[in-house]
Amino acid sequence: MIEASWIAGLGVILFSIGLLGAFTRKNAIVVLMCIEVMLNAANLNFVAGASHYSDVDGWVFTAIAIAIAAAEVAIGLAILLSLYSTQETISLEEANLLRN
Amino acid sequence: MGDSKNEWELLVPLVPFLLVAPSLKFLAGWESVEAAFLIVVVPLLTFPAILVVGQIYNGNETWKQRYKEGGIFGLGALSLSLSIAIWIIYDYVVGSAHFEAHSVVDPFSWLTFDVIEQTGTQWEVSTGFADIGVGVWIDSVTLMLLFVATFLCFLICWFSLGYMNTDKINEDSNHRFYGEFVLFAIGMFGMVLADNFLWLFIFWEIMGLCSYLLIGFYYWKDSAAYAAKKAFLTTRVGDVFLVVGLLMLYDIYGSLDFAVLFDNPSTGVGGAVVESGELNWALIMLFIGAVGKSAQFPLHVWLPDAMEGPTPVSALIHAATMVNAGLYLVVRMVPFVDVHVNGVAGLEEFALTVAWIGGITAFMAAAIAFVQNDIKKVLAYSTMSQLAYIFTGLGAGLLFLNIDEHHAGYFVIGASMFHLFNHAMAKGMLFMASGSVIHEVHHAHDHVRELSEKYSTNEGDDHGDFDPQDMRNMGGLAARMPVTATAMMLGSMSIIGIPLIGGFWSKEGIIAETWAACLHEEPLMLVPAVLVLATAGMTGFYMTRMWLMTFAGPPKSEVVGHVHETTPWIKEPLIILSVITALGGFALALLGASDYLGDPHHAELSYHGLLDTLEHAFLPEDSYLRLVGWTTMLLAMVIGPVIASRIHGGRLIDGVEASPLVSWLVDLSSRFGSQDVSELADSQLAEALQRRLYFDDLYEVALAKTAIPFAAFSAWFDANVIDGVIKQIESNSATGSVQIRRITTGSARDYILMAAVGMISIFALLWGVSN
Repeated sequence: MIEASWIAGLGVILFSIGLLGAFTRKNAIVVLMCIEVMLNAANLNFVAGASHYSDVDGWVFTAIAIAIAAAEVAIGLAILLSLYSTQETISLEEANLLRN
Repeated sequence: MGDSKNEWELLVPLVPFLLVAPSLKFLAGWESVEAAFLIVVVPLLTFPAILVVGQIYNGNETWKQRYKEGGIFGLGALSLSLSIAIWIIYDYVVGSAHFEAHSVVDPFSWLTFDVIEQTGTQWEVSTGFADIGVGVWIDSVTLMLLFVATFLCFLICWFSLGYMNTDKINEDSNHRFYGEFVLFAIGMFGMVLADNFLWLFIFWEIMGLCSYLLIGFYYWKDSAAYAAKKAFLTTRVGDVFLVVGLLMLYDIYGSLDFAVLFDNPSTGVGGAVVESGELNWALIMLFIGAVGKSAQFPLHVWLPDAMEGPTPVSALIHAATMVNAGLYLVVRMVPFVDVHVNGVAGLEEFALTVAWIGGITAFMAAAIAFVQNDIKKVLAYSTMSQLAYIFTGLGAGLLFLNIDEHHAGYFVIGASMFHLFNHAMAKGMLFMASGSVIHEVHHAHDHVRELSEKYSTNEGDDHGDFDPQDMRNMGGLAARMPVTATAMMLGSMSIIGIPLIGGFWSKEGIIAETWAACLHEEPLMLVPAVLVLATAGMTGFYMTRMWLMTFAGPPKSEVVGHVHETTPWIKEPLIILSVITALGGFALALLGASDYLGDPHHAELSYHGLLDTLEHAFLPEDSYLRLVGWTTMLLAMVIGPVIASRIHGGRLIDGVEASPLVSWLVDLSSRFGSQDVSELADSQLAEALQRRLYFDDLYEVALAKTAIPFAAFSAWFDANVIDGVIKQIESNSATGSVQIRRITTGSARDYILMAAVGMISIFALLWGVSN
């Protein structure tokens, strides 16, 4: 059995990769993917906690989080589609209507 | 001029108004007092009607010719008030109604509110609650003033039909005049009838407002607008003190109802014994209000300027009625002072204040009247002086009452009120007569100008500086205006105090009792006593001077030759008032008016006998009274008029005739020789009097030194501190928002960064806290 702290450490690394990607990438789809990575880093932490404490709550949270992430991705992609249909780009550099 | 028959037809709409009082009495069976509220209510309905209808039909020929731009409606309402007032007076004087000291009708409560009182540490609603009702208070003073007010309002409104409606300058704005005139009448009637000080004050302020509006009737003239403001603001000074006085009275007695206050003035709210200290100040505060309204020193500066208003307004408001409000207020304070019936002892300071202010004003105003050349200004100063007489009398009366000399006290207060009556009648009439003179001189001047324009090639003929009110443009009018000359002669005699006419009967009493107070009771009364005695002679001088400058001697300008006494409606009110002035004083003196008006226990008029009355006036038992009386007569009747005759007297030019009495007087005036006074006229004293003893300048400087810097400071404070704070907040948020806008880049990555940084800081914070 792997130590829970190793799994949590992996979660931190995954989260950092996701966060860095979300900061630096211009492509909205990649940013969305990075967000998914961060979400899954959190899920991994839940799973690690659940196995460490032998508590089923962590599994349940993870299952719910995955379901919600699926819905969120659907919405995110729909937003990107409509962004593309109006702005003809999915670059986050150019989608700045809320500026100032 | 239209034929006289036609003019009388215009008065037909008055008939229904005049029928109201008899039908209420005989058909509806009302008591006269029950109808008293109509005296106020009917004008109250009429005044907006005149203004609204006048605005709608402005310029309409029927409205102008037939209804005199609302004058007929105003006259109708005032005639109804007059008829009800006469009905009430008849009931109380001759008929069945009687009052012990007063009688009160209280038809409904106007305003009730709970009074919250502190008991220990708790605030509780007290058992007694304040109840301010609308009632009618009737006693002998009310009856007298009610007659003066309704009668003069009616006559002067009638006079206005002739005076106002025949001048081009007033055309299409007369409805404003009549509307405000009737509103003024509401104020005066209401104040006289009010049965508590709060209502008295409300009506008092209505009068102040109308005074302001009517002085500023010719608002496009700078001088009129200035005079209106001056009158309003000066009386406002007094009114502030009046309100303070009323609050102090409420504090002492817990009520402002006459019935509560006068019932037992020595017992305050909750049965506490009233000390003279606070009451003294309360009464002095009220008196300052009276000083402002009655134009007494030092708040007298507004009255001469108030003559900018139309002459009927000067006659009614600034001579005969409104300026009496202050006197009325002081008379209402008699029960507080009257130690014979429950009054509070120790109020001599208040009484002395009243007497001193009266004495100073009487003398000062008479002195300033010496040098005035404007006929209305002479009368204005004369009004101030005569009102001051009454104040002096009241002061002496209050002093007597406060030391329980109630016979003398009641007598002099009655004499003062009687003088108020005589003065109101005479001065109302004098102003109407001066209005008649001004009106006819003005028209004659227009006529002369037309002639000169027709026959002379000199187009730029300058008549612009001709002043129809300046007596130096008159002279010799006795032949041209017989009715006015006679009326003015009788009015002047009444004011001077020529024996047997009008003011003689009351003035004598005031002077004699002021001296009695000085000699027997209080040496400090010496100053008012000396001043009023001197003023008697000065009155003789300035009234004679005014009459002679206007009516005697050769004409002083070509305009005089064209004066005709022909304007309709001006003569009739003059004749009626002349009769009252000439005979009314004597008749009322025979009926013991002084006792009736002064003594609350003497609630009836009764015939005193001709010889008794004459003996009382000319040969009183007390030898010093006889001395004072005869000195007064000598000063007022001989010395003053003779000096005036030496300076201004003179025959009419040959070939013109005046009525016998008038021409006898004119000839008499020319017999005293003539005296050149140009040296005196150039002296510094005359200059000081011309400048009204520098009071106006003094106030102007005082205002420039205090009020104007304060106003400037307030303006600065408003612009920089109050507005500054708000503007600073506004500009700061504007610049702040510009700064904040710079971080809303619109880029999703920046927002993610912010969220991440925020989250990390929160975690760091939590971590720090948990450690």
